[in-house]
Amino acid sequence: MSLILVDDIAKSYGKVVAVDGLSLRVEEGSIMGLIGPKDVGKTTTIKIIVGVLKPDRGSVRVFNEEPWDNPALKSRIGIIHERARFPSHHKVLDYLQRVCRIFGKPESRAREVLALTKLEDVYDRTIKTLSAVMLQKLAIAHAWINQPGLIIADEPTSNLDPEARSDLLDLILKLHHDENVTFLISSDIVPELDRVCDSVVIINQGKVWASGGLTELSERFMARTTRISTDNPEALGGLIRKLEYVSRVEVNSRGVSVGVIGEEDRKLYEDVPKLAREAKAKIVGIQSGTASLEELFRLAVRSRQGE
Amino acid sequence: MGKGRPFLEVFTCALSEDYWFPILELLVLLCALWTFFTAGIAGVSGSYSDFITVEAFTHNLVYSFTWPLIIMVGIPIVKNIAYGLGSDLEKGIIHTLFSYPLKKGYILTARLLSALVIPLLLFLGISILGLFLFLPDVIRADPGTVALTYAAQLSPVLLTAGLLLLLALRLRRGVPALLSGLTLCFVLFVILDSIADSVAWGIGSDWSLKIYAVITPNLALQEYYVGTLGLSSQTWVPSFSEALLYVSAGYLLVAVVFIIAYVYFKRSLRI
Repeated sequence: MSLILVDDIAKSYGKVVAVDGLSLRVEEGSIMGLIGPKDVGKTTTIKIIVGVLKPDRGSVRVFNEEPWDNPALKSRIGIIHERARFPSHHKVLDYLQRVCRIFGKPESRAREVLALTKLEDVYDRTIKTLSAVMLQKLAIAHAWINQPGLIIADEPTSNLDPEARSDLLDLILKLHHDENVTFLISSDIVPELDRVCDSVVIINQGKVWASGGLTELSERFMARTTRISTDNPEALGGLIRKLEYVSRVEVNSRGVSVGVIGEEDRKLYEDVPKLAREAKAKIVGIQSGTASLEELFRLAVRSRQGE
Repeated sequence: MGKGRPFLEVFTCALSEDYWFPILELLVLLCALWTFFTAGIAGVSGSYSDFITVEAFTHNLVYSFTWPLIIMVGIPIVKNIAYGLGSDLEKGIIHTLFSYPLKKGYILTARLLSALVIPLLLFLGISILGLFLFLPDVIRADPGTVALTYAAQLSPVLLTAGLLLLLALRLRRGVPALLSGLTLCFVLFVILDSIADSVAWGIGSDWSLKIYAVITPNLALQEYYVGTLGLSSQTWVPSFSEALLYVSAGYLLVAVVFIIAYVYFKRSLRI
C-alpha cells in the first residue's frame, strides 16, 4: 500500500521553478530517501507533501487524502522540519505535554518520548538552552508524540556532527523496526541515507533524476566502484585520474577507489596493471562492486552541471 | 478530535512566548494608570456648559481619556505582531505550528489573538475603569457616544494591526518587520495626519480630511461634534450619519486588510 502518492507536481516561486513534474510513491513500511544537491526542490517537495504548500499543478495523496491545509491528516503523520525550532521560552517537558494535549494524547506520553530520544535529563531545561543535537532529538520526540504511521523528515541531520547523526539514524531505524514506522527522509548528506534507506529518489533541477532500490539504481546506471589496494596510491591515483572514462577517483593511505560508469570497468582492469608499472606501484588487490548511493548522487550533480 | 483544544493550546503557547517577560506591558500598565489617576486627581470635571451638546462633551472627554492610552498600547501591539510574528517566520517556529492538527487560518488567528489580547485588554480595562471611576455620570448619561468613540478609536488600532501582519508576513523577519512597522505607524498617524490637515487648510478643500477619516474615523466624529459648535473656520462638517459611515468604512478597510493577510498567509506565504 502506498502511503504517499505524488503525481507530476510542480511549484514555482515567481520565475524560479522549484519543482517541475515530480512524481514519487512511498510504500508502507519502507524508508525512502529523497536525495539531491542543495536547492533542487527537496524541501519544497516535502512542504507540498506535508500540506504546507499547495502545488501549482499535479496531485498529492497522503494516506489517500489531499494534504494541503488538512488538519485531520496532521494527526496521522509526524513532521520533522529542517532546523526544527520550537517556542524557545518553554521548558522541554512542559512543551511536549502541551503537544500531547494538542494531539489528544495523555501527558504521560511526553515522558515516554523523552526516554526514547534520551532527553530525560533535560526535561526541565528551557528549549532555548538546548544544543543543536538536542533540538533535533526534540524534533523527533515531537514528531513521535502522536505515534504516526508515517514520519516525513526534511534534512533531519543537517548541522549535526557525525556521532549525533549516527545516533539520530539509529533512532530512526529503531522506530522503523520496532514500530513499523514508514519514513520519507530528505537529505544531501548521502552516506547516512545509504545506511537507512530501502529505496531512494534522486532529485535534480526539480525533477526525479532516478528512483528505485539502491542495487536496482546501480545496475540501471551501471555505476560501479573499483577499489585498488596498492603501496603507492598517490602516484597510481594521479595516473588513473587522467583516464577519460573514470567518473571519480579517491585516494587514501591504503589504495585508490575508482568510480566508473557502464562497461568501462573491464577497460579499467586492463589499464590498471600498465598504469601501476608506470607509477611504480605494487597492486595488492583489486575488487569491483556496485556504486554507493554517494556515487549515484555525484552522477546526479554532474548531470545538473551539464558535464 | 475537536479543534477547540488544539486552538487553545496554540493560543496559550503563543501567549506565554509573547509575554514571557512582560516588562513592556507592565510599563504600559503603569503609565496608563498614572495618566488616569493624575487626570482624576487633577479633577477632570463631568460638567459642561450650555452651548455644547452632551454628545460632543462625552465624545471629547472619552477621546481625551483614551488617545494617550491608544499610543501606549500601540507599542506592544507593534512589538508582538511585527517582531513576534516576523521572528516566528524567521526562526521557523511557524513550521512547527503547521504540524499541528489545525487549519492555517486558525493558527494565524491564535497567533494574532495572542499578540492583540493583552494590549487590548489593557486599553479597554484601564480606560473603562478610569471612566467609571472619574466620570460615572458621563457614561450613564450617554453610553451610545462612549461606545461610538471607542469604536472610532479602535478602528485605526486594528487597521495598524492588519497592516503590521501583512508586513510581517511579507518580510518574514523580526527586526526588519519591527522597524518597518514603526515607520508605518509614523507615516500613518503623524505624516498623513499633517498632510491631510495642511491640504485642508491650504486649499480649503475637505477631500484630504475625508480620505484620512477612513483611516482614522475618529476624525469624522470629531469634525461632526466640533461642527455642532457652529464654528465658521471649519473646513469639513460632516453629518452624524456621514460620521457613522466613516466609522463603518474604517472597519470595512480593517476587514479588507485582514482578509488580504489571511489569504496571503494561506496561499502565498513563502516559507
